[in-house]
Amino acid sequence: MAKQPPSRTIAKSDFKRISEQVWELSRDFRDDMRAPARLYADEALLEAALGDNSVEQLVNTSTLPGIVKYAIAMPDIHQGYGFPIGGVVATRLPEGIISPGGVGYDINCGVRLLASEATAEEISPFLGELASALYHNCPSGVGVHGEIKLQEAELEKVLVDGARWARQRGLARNEDLEHTEEFGMMPGADPEHVSHKARERGRNQVGTLGAGNHFIEVDTVAAIYHETAAERLGLFPGQTVVQIHCGSRGFGHQVCEDYVARFQKTVRDYGIELPDRELVCAPFESDEGQEYFRAMACAANFAFANRQVLAHHIRRSFEQVLAGKVRAFDLHQVYDIAHNMAKVEEHTVGGTHMQMCVHRKGATRAFGPGSPGLPDDLRDVGQPVLIPGSMGTASYVLIGTRGSMEQTFGSTCHGAGRVWSRTRAKKTVRGQELRQELENRGIAVRAGSMPGLAEEAPQAYKDVSRVVDVVERAGIGKKVARLEPIAVVKG
Amino acid sequence: MAGDLRFREVEHTADRAFTVRGHNLAELFAVAAHALCAIQGQSTATQQTVHREVEVSGVDRETLLVNWLNEILYLQDVHRESYSRFEVIAISDTFLRASLHGDSDAASRRTIKAVTFHGLQLEPLPDGWEATIVVDV
Repeated sequence: MAKQPPSRTIAKSDFKRISEQVWELSRDFRDDMRAPARLYADEALLEAALGDNSVEQLVNTSTLPGIVKYAIAMPDIHQGYGFPIGGVVATRLPEGIISPGGVGYDINCGVRLLASEATAEEISPFLGELASALYHNCPSGVGVHGEIKLQEAELEKVLVDGARWARQRGLARNEDLEHTEEFGMMPGADPEHVSHKARERGRNQVGTLGAGNHFIEVDTVAAIYHETAAERLGLFPGQTVVQIHCGSRGFGHQVCEDYVARFQKTVRDYGIELPDRELVCAPFESDEGQEYFRAMACAANFAFANRQVLAHHIRRSFEQVLAGKVRAFDLHQVYDIAHNMAKVEEHTVGGTHMQMCVHRKGATRAFGPGSPGLPDDLRDVGQPVLIPGSMGTASYVLIGTRGSMEQTFGSTCHGAGRVWSRTRAKKTVRGQELRQELENRGIAVRAGSMPGLAEEAPQAYKDVSRVVDVVERAGIGKKVARLEPIAVVKG
Repeated sequence: MAGDLRFREVEHTADRAFTVRGHNLAELFAVAAHALCAIQGQSTATQQTVHREVEVSGVDRETLLVNWLNEILYLQDVHRESYSRFEVIAISDTFLRASLHGDSDAASRRTIKAVTFHGLQLEPLPDGWEATIVVDV
């Protein structure tokens, strides 16, 4: 059963500085820790992290049974529920646990990057029209329904086959699947462990964007930092690219809800004591652990299919608006990454090769060159990593490194990271004024909700460039390109 | 707690949180449901043309509260409805029967993904109960 952690304020002086970018709380910082806790940050980002409960949440994750090395937080760490956003915890198999709260409600929330051969300058006369077409063709909002209503048998195909289901419907190209994490299909999915409620919520939501911080953004490649990698990813200066940020919608939310509620009893059955009930977990190899893992894989596949259908809608929008007006407007897929997932992976720790369950909650897989699971054409380059910034600011394309394999179980940051609450953002920023400010900077904005737009104001986030600089200096990601927005579509 | 709604929103960096109070558990559960819909910006001035009866269970009071609120999110999502009146008909530590009254409302804002257990405590006060609830948005 869960117990409350001892109350203790965490200060900068409690950390040992391991290197310029790595700070550690030792295992004896709190009695219930099973491993030290490590935070990747510069001094300013560390101080920002101490501004809310996120570091306490990081310490809480270090109590999970079977944890390997240390609980890790990325420089975009901020307060979540259970795990901090930006958290990575690996548990050794077979004895380690799996925690639904370590993945979160938006299972396989992630980012897809599409790239055109056309430049931003070429499409600029049609930008407003293009933004409107994207807003019209890509339904947004939390409970919104899409064009596709799946009957039971086809829904099960989505849950098992992920983005590969979309290829059968003519909504995906082979290159899309090749350039998607897990090749668009998370193994181990078994719909038998998915509730009726989850199915009902997912049935109408494939091909919908959602709300909150989810978005479609048209960007231009503003800078190239690594010419060889950029060329291999098909990126060049001035190019038009598109980011999609969304996840498994109501389907994934319900899967997580079902298992977090069920595991409230499971932790009692296994005698697992935890400092926060949102961290509830089960031994990975137990019936309960396996059932969650297989249901989570279904939600991951739902998300891969969702981003795939949205990619199709985006290609359709480009064709509707740009055909006959702009040359080479077609979009190829650079990559698609997950940043809320638990995966079985093999890593080497202290010279020992071991299998583990790696939880990434607001953190991105960042496998280095030569790692398994990379597409053939990028195996020697490393995995593309997509780091969206806050609305109206830069985003980054990185590649995974050998350093990420050695230090962080092949993981890096996932975004800018919030510093303001949503209520503060809404009190401080007016959605309409923000929209005008972005439009004045040449960014076309299409948003369903002005308060929702205000919640995502750039002031509410950390500086993504600073976050990315930390991971690069720490050696857990390498910058390839910087993207600047020219159109934003939000729910 | 301002007014008779007996809930207030509290600061949370990434998501949203609110504290609710009730003179008894039944009232607290009804106020929590009201808060859940109100902070999504849903209208409370509805004609109440839709009525639903629900039964929810949980291993303890906290789980029951989370399951109750998540049941409302599920219903509003699947049926595209919004609710403005909640009657808790029967409640124990592990079971609840309630009715929801609202309207079919496809355009209503549904901005909360899920209700979490993070830091959740249902605490007795001298004159009732209080809980602080964190929701994922």
